[in-house]
Amino acid sequence: MGLREFVIRRILLMIPTLIGVVLLIFAVTQLFTPGQRATLYITSEKQMSRIPDIIRQYHLNESVLLQFSDWFSQVLQGNLGYSRTGGGPVLQVMLRKLPATFELVIWSIPITILLGTYLGIQSAVHRDQLPDHVTRTVSIIGYSLPTFWLGIMLIAIFFSGLGWFPPERTGAQAFNYIYLSGHWRYYTGLLTIDGLLNGQPWISLDVLKHMVLPTATLVTIQIALIIRVMRSSMLEALGKGYVTAAKAKGLTNTQVINKHARRNALIPTMTVAGLLTAGVLTGVTITETVFNIDGLGRWAAVAAGGGGTVPDVPAVLGFALFAGIVYVITNLIVDVLYAYIDPRIRLG
Amino acid sequence: MSIRSRWKEFRLGIKPTLDELKFTLRRIRRSPLSIVGMVLIGFFVAIAIFAPILAPPTDPHDPFSIFHDGYGPTPRPPGSPVEDSYVRDLGWTTHYFGTAEGQLDIYYGCIWGTQTAFRIGLLVVAVSLAVGLLTGCLAGYYGGVIDEILMRFTDIVLAFPGLILAMALVIALPPAWSIDFGFVGLAIVIFLALIFIGRSKKLQGIWTFMLAVLGFAAFGTLYTWVLGTPPIWVQTLNLGNLDKVLIALALVGWPSYTRVIRGEILRVRHEDYVEAARAVGCSDFRIVVRHILPNAIYSVVIIASLDIGAIVLTAAALSFLGIGAPVGYADWGQMISFARNWIWAGIENPWQYWYTFTIPGLFIFVFVLGWNLLGDAFRDILDPTLRRR
Repeated sequence: MGLREFVIRRILLMIPTLIGVVLLIFAVTQLFTPGQRATLYITSEKQMSRIPDIIRQYHLNESVLLQFSDWFSQVLQGNLGYSRTGGGPVLQVMLRKLPATFELVIWSIPITILLGTYLGIQSAVHRDQLPDHVTRTVSIIGYSLPTFWLGIMLIAIFFSGLGWFPPERTGAQAFNYIYLSGHWRYYTGLLTIDGLLNGQPWISLDVLKHMVLPTATLVTIQIALIIRVMRSSMLEALGKGYVTAAKAKGLTNTQVINKHARRNALIPTMTVAGLLTAGVLTGVTITETVFNIDGLGRWAAVAAGGGGTVPDVPAVLGFALFAGIVYVITNLIVDVLYAYIDPRIRLG
Repeated sequence: MSIRSRWKEFRLGIKPTLDELKFTLRRIRRSPLSIVGMVLIGFFVAIAIFAPILAPPTDPHDPFSIFHDGYGPTPRPPGSPVEDSYVRDLGWTTHYFGTAEGQLDIYYGCIWGTQTAFRIGLLVVAVSLAVGLLTGCLAGYYGGVIDEILMRFTDIVLAFPGLILAMALVIALPPAWSIDFGFVGLAIVIFLALIFIGRSKKLQGIWTFMLAVLGFAAFGTLYTWVLGTPPIWVQTLNLGNLDKVLIALALVGWPSYTRVIRGEILRVRHEDYVEAARAVGCSDFRIVVRHILPNAIYSVVIIASLDIGAIVLTAAALSFLGIGAPVGYADWGQMISFARNWIWAGIENPWQYWYTFTIPGLFIFVFVLGWNLLGDAFRDILDPTLRRR
């Protein structure tokens, strides 16, 4: 089986899972009262008063099949309902809040992967020595720390105490320039890049400074996973025949580790990249809440009833659907990359 | 045969098991991390058991609601005197760990929060494990259509990040839930009966079981439709916020157990000893319970102990986000959410309210750390592939 057939097969296999994801979200909608469900169909604040009509119009008191066809056609049209907490239709709110989350994620994931693989390799190479003990301790602590508590402690130490890195997304000055001055133009929505494009590099710096703590939180929580997998696959690789052969050939230790063992050990580590995505999606929900960053995660948390009021159903379900789809697609990409790198997967 | 010779036979029979147990205990003694883990868990077990002595409840009917000392907004530091005369009369003189926002006693919350944490962790893992065992055995042992359906279903649930799906479920679960106890009970009875029939007649138990469940569901529906009321065995359960969290976490949690157990069963299903058991005419039930499960259970035990920590973390996160335990309930995650406004206390003394977030956070962290250390140690000790190294 060539790579192309593998990719096509894998995409076809993804379709039932995606349908399942949509069906599961629909099953969750069925747990709500018809009145709450009706908010999934409206598109503006004005329609909130028309809920009895909507219940009738979309058969919300009638059979499940009728409801599903109505709901599904709405979803296909991109209408996920009106989010009270976001102040707009769910899809629009999501697009508006996505950049803040994305900016956090594109910083934390590469750092997690690079640092995690490095520490994992060091841990395996120096097995049962000091670097190994330190790394394993760090990793088990990372596993056990509650994300929100780590965030709070980081704020307490590095903001309250030392005054180095503030929470939130921007400082007051940058906030005023971006939202009030009228000179700001959004190019990508990512403030670090837009700052440069707007010719205001100080804004990029300010935003970077604000991102240090949330990124550190996400990295600390996620890195344990990478370290563990990297360590065990590196240990396995170091025990293989080709490593012994390379050593027997007279290569230096560094060459053996970098050229022979590491390459092979990286392959299994890739498979957990999917899990990393899930961890990050969960992580941003809490990190953004703690650091008060106006992104997707905080919006979902507030919508779920962080304020203690009636939950904003369309927002939570929209976010869950988004998370499910992102996760499925990441897994697809990981599988394809995996097959591309390791021919045993697509041929076997 | 005399009793003595029977006893001898019995002792010979269990000797390998005893030897394995001794070996395991020796391994545990030799691994310092597992001892630390066990000491930590033991410490929390002691707190949970002696909670009524360590922190006598101010309201005996509801020990889980943290007592108030007035309703002032500003937290007070550890060692402040109790001012409320009613609480004072019950023997509370000082706030050992200070008070949180709204004058909730932090010490009381932390102590009773231990019980909450154990309850959440153990209950959710027990339910997920039970469901996972049943479905995993069905999928792994029988394969075919059931396997396909169950695996596609777990695919779907596992396609969501756990916390996010749990969040949606917690807000979606209705406060009152009608459960058909008769249905559940009868299903269990039919299931057990079929297993016994299967032992003697070699029926393909699972298909008959499915048919029986379908038939019963059809009967219930028909009954309701004809008479207009549901059968008497339908009872309504009222769900509190915490119950919803438990149910949501269990619903999200079981598929990963199903997966692991199925994988383990597939691994050992064609081992010689299973084939031998089949050849001498053991029933499916006996083969699964006596021959397959004992050899497949190790990885499940490891995962379960790691999972208790993870579940307590998720539940704490839900509480922190404001969708977990009700306000004032002894729960660590919620106590940290009370502290959110007090992380920075002005330029003069920025750490003035350190106790509001540090103390409950340490409780969560150490609790989860204990379970993770224990899980890691179990992995080294129980995993047959690592065990003898």
